[in-house]
This record gives sequence, structure tokens and C-alpha cells, in this order.
Amino acid sequence: MSERVPPPFDPELAAALAAVSDTVWPSLRPDQIALKRAVPRLPAGEFTLGGVFTAEDLVVPGPEGAPDISLLVCRPVSAREPVAALYFIHGGGMVMGDNRAGVPDMLELAAELGMAVVSVEYRLAPENPHPAPVEDCYAGLLWTFENAAKIGVDPARVVVGGSSAGGGLAAALALMARDLDGPEILGQLLLCPMLDDRDDTFSGFQMTGLGTWDRVANDTGWNALLGAARGGPDVSPYAAPARAGDLSGLPPAFIDVGSAESFRDEDVAYAARIWQAGGRAELHVWPGGFHGFDFLSPRAALSRDSREARVRWMRRLLA
Amino acid sequence: MKELAGRLTALDPDAGAAVRVIAYFDRLAEGRAGLEAVVRGAVILAGCPARLADPERRVLVRVLTDGCRDDVCEAPDPAWPSVSLTPGGAGRLWLERPGPAGTVGAMVLERAAATARAVLERTRGRAPVGSPGDDPALVELLLDPAVPEAERLHAARRLGLPRLVRAVAVAGGPPVIEPAETEPGHHDGRAGIGPDVPVLGLPDSWKAAAVALRLAAEGDASDPGPRVVRFTELGGLAVLASAVGPETEPVPDVRALDRAAAEAPWAAATLHAVASSPSLRAAASALVLHHSTLQDRLARAERLLGWSVRTQEGRLRLHLAFALRRLHRRPR
Repeated sequence: MSERVPPPFDPELAAALAAVSDTVWPSLRPDQIALKRAVPRLPAGEFTLGGVFTAEDLVVPGPEGAPDISLLVCRPVSAREPVAALYFIHGGGMVMGDNRAGVPDMLELAAELGMAVVSVEYRLAPENPHPAPVEDCYAGLLWTFENAAKIGVDPARVVVGGSSAGGGLAAALALMARDLDGPEILGQLLLCPMLDDRDDTFSGFQMTGLGTWDRVANDTGWNALLGAARGGPDVSPYAAPARAGDLSGLPPAFIDVGSAESFRDEDVAYAARIWQAGGRAELHVWPGGFHGFDFLSPRAALSRDSREARVRWMRRLLA
Repeated sequence: MKELAGRLTALDPDAGAAVRVIAYFDRLAEGRAGLEAVVRGAVILAGCPARLADPERRVLVRVLTDGCRDDVCEAPDPAWPSVSLTPGGAGRLWLERPGPAGTVGAMVLERAAATARAVLERTRGRAPVGSPGDDPALVELLLDPAVPEAERLHAARRLGLPRLVRAVAVAGGPPVIEPAETEPGHHDGRAGIGPDVPVLGLPDSWKAAAVALRLAAEGDASDPGPRVVRFTELGGLAVLASAVGPETEPVPDVRALDRAAAEAPWAAATLHAVASSPSLRAAASALVLHHSTLQDRLARAERLLGWSVRTQEGRLRLHLAFALRRLHRRPR
């Protein structure tokens, strides 16, 4: 195990990472969660992509017996008919972030396709361990389908998506919708998704201490979500979708990940298992990309290419 | 739209900015990133388009605010902040926004230029020094209207051409593309200069340059006249050019001019000087002849020609005869 040489970062991405090294580091510890959460929540009006979208916060019922949840609904101003929608779940290792994180990036994607974006606020671990986060996300998804007409969304064209922890939660929603006779999801957009709590991948060890999210940070996230159950035999696939025994019958998946990040091997494995189960998946492994590279430096060459790939997949899906 | 935590965006002028700028470009240099990544770094950190141009090394790299490469551009605005890549060199890096640079802009320019200089020394140190547009295959593409526009734009980028250019036809040489709004470069031989056009207009500029070349003279005693002709200065002569082809019979005036030139070795140069000078006295001094010698020669030439060249009408007729004679000598 001593000879795990990490793949080098793409030079442009490495430069961006070096420039923000005071606010982004690879190994998030539990005692640093509070610090990371201490960022102001921006008003909905900040999420219009310069007037291309209308944006409003809607408060909708949460899961049975749980508090209400909030959805940030961004709709293309120019839309006259119901539009396709991306139901988006933010990242943050299950322990941080709000439903603003990643939304500007998703609006850029949605603007290319005339889609709406619905970004869900879910309760965070460790205060709210599994199943609170995924149940909040699922409640918001059900509300979105049931009230699609109200928010100008075509319920036949709803794609679930998320980045990092949100990617894992989006994959979980696809499993839940399949298992619980839930709504018909058109596709799942899984951006560098956090899928596996078991801490036993080659890339996880290989990338220790590097990039934006390493094994130490992953421990922080999974331990917060699952407590003592983490890594044990009884972890639900709705918490860690890599645990699912059956990956058949899922909506088409788009999975992207960097070659130089902890999640590389679990994300590649997830795509491979979907194919083995007779499913549809498109997998992109971006060379020299660290975790969330395109969110950190959206204008870098590799980030631009990775974003174009998402647009092309989405365009084919919606065609 | 406000930016979210954990993202690298255009820097505010605060205490951390210098550290970020230095870290960014140092790491780019360590990773041996290319010029485009360096220019894009300036774009990302300064939040506006940026451009690097080094005419001596035939390099043009321009990146827009969204990170997209786009080398098709106007000449730089003098109001933009910029730095020189090397003291006294032609290479420069610009931020494409009105100046002044500000603290962040100045740091970005300085660090990006230093990084770009290192890349250029590493990768282009021994690149041939030449005028832009002397890669024959790419030049051919740009002059051919049948080549798809996207391919021609790509060729223009490869050649590092500015947005406005012109084609130059040189006798016996390959086609040349020059930046617009400059003095024509030195060409060995007769040359026709096409009009300034956007790069996609080069096929038209090239056609015009070929017309201008037909009207360029050898500039010697038997074929006097300017060796470099600009199409834009031809006026109605361009129409005349289309009337003369390989099968066209020369009008009698052209035959008469040929006859005169054949009879006396001084005739062509003398008549040309008379046609293009404001007075006979000026023509004599241009020819370094005594006024009376010129008078004698003219009398003889006029007999050979069959018309007088001492009137406005006669000189115009002579002018046209010279133009037609050049066109007949290069009938296509």
C-alpha cells in the first residue's frame, strides 16, 4: 500500500486549487464543520443567472412527522409551456452546504436546455443522521411531481441530480423511486457522487491528503450520517447507493468524476454495475480532476469540457 | 450573481489577493501549463478577457471571460492595461477592459507575463521569426472561398492573424497575408496589395491583389512604373483589368507604345515620366535630362505614337496605354 502514486492534477486545476488553499483543504475534520457552515445564506434573488430565471423559495411539507422543507425554484423567464426540470441536491459531505451551493452552475446547464432547476434544502448530519437527509430530498421530489403544474414543470421530464453528497442522494432517490413505486424519473445526473461508506477503494487511499475531499473528510461525512453503523453490514442503499444489491431498472445515469479524486473508483464501479445490470449509464473520468474541480474553477479547460458533456447528455435525454 | 464559498473567481483587492495570484501562476509554471492556460489564468483572476500577442514569435492567444479561446479580434484598445513580455520586445499581455489596471489587475498582468515569458522561452525560443501568415498550406486555405468558414477561421487562429488582414500577391512568389493597417512589408519583386478585410474576406482580397499585381510594373526602362500597387488606389483601372484577357486584341495605342519602346530604349521611361509628372520640367528633372533634350525626345516619341502628349487628353490617353500595356503583358 506504500506505493500508491497519485495521478497528477491537471496544471490549470492545480493552480486554482493552490490559489484557494486558505479556504479549501482535503481533510475536513468534525471540529471544522462549524467553521465551514459559517457562510451567509444568499437570497433567492441571487439565483436568476442575470435575469434568465425567476427564483423563489417555496416551503413545502417534509417527510411524515418531520419539519417542512424549502425548495429554491428557478424557472426560465421565457418559458410559456411547462418545462423539463433538474431536481438538484447540493453537496457538502452530508454535513454542510445549503440549497444555494452549486445552483449557479446548474442554472448555466439548465439555461442551455430551457429547463427549470429545483434545489432542495435537506437536514444535515450529524444533527440529523440518516434517513433525515434522503427523506427530505424524497419528500421534495414527491412534492415537485405532484405540484409540477403549479411551478410550470413537465412531470414527464424531471431529472434528479446532485454533486458529491448530493450525487449520492440523487442516486438514492432513483433507487427509492424504483423500489417504492415512486414517480417516473427521466434520468439521474450524478456529479462526482459520494456513494460508498466502506472506505476500501484504491483511489480513496491513493488520494489521501490531496485535493478537496480525502479519506479523512469522507470519514467525517459518513460517520456523521451513519454513526456506529457506518461500514457495517446494515447500511441502507438509500444512505450509500453503492450498497444496493440490484442496480437494474434505474433511469439512465450520467456519472462524472476526476481521475485524481477519492471517489474515482466507487463512481467507476457504480457505472460498471449499472451496465452489468443491463442498465444505461454514461461515465466520464476527467484526467487530473480533483473532487468538484469544475465547481472550484468553472472556466478551466477541463471544467468547460466536463460541463459540455453534461449538456450533451441532457440534450439527448430530453430529445 | 454573488459567488459561493470554495470557488475561485475574480479577485477583490484585499490582503489575500497577492497570495492567490502568486500561488496560481507559480503552480501553473510548476505544472508546465501552456500559454492558453496562462492567459486564461489572467481571465479567471481579473474577471475580464485577456490577450497575449507576440508578433515576433507569431503568437496570439485570446481568452474570453467564460474561459473560451477566441483569437478573432480587433487591434488592442490603447486604453487597456497591458505589460510588455520582455523589455523592448514586441510581445504584450493585455487585460481587455478600460484602464487603469488596479492593484489586482497589475499583479495579474505582472505574474501572468512572467509565466508566459517562461513558456515562450521554453516552447518557442527557436521559433522562426517571420511575418505572420507565411505558412503556405494555411495561407492557401484562407484564400480559397470553397473551404468551409470554420476551417478558414481555424487556419487564421493557427497563423495568429488579427481580425483585419489583407492578401498580397507577389510576382513569382507564394501568396502572403499581412495584418491590416500596417505599411506593406517589403516584397522581392512586383506586388499587388489587396484591400483590408476580415479574415473570411481573404479570398476577395486575394482576387483584388492579383488584379493589382497585373498593373504593377517591373520599374525598369522597358516597363516603367510602380512595382507595388494597392488595389484600393486603382479606381476605374480595376474595371479596365477585367476587360483585358489573354485573347483580347491590344488597341492601336498599345501597339504604338510598344513600337515606340522598341524603336528607342529611352522611349518608355520618357513617356512614363511625362504621363506621371505634373509638368514637362518636373518630368525632365525626374529623368535627369536637360529640358531641351526632353523636348527633342518627345517630338520623336510623339511621331512614333501618333498623338501629342502635351495636352491633358493626350496624357490621359498615354496613361491608359501604359495601363493596358501592363495588363496585356500579364493577361491573367
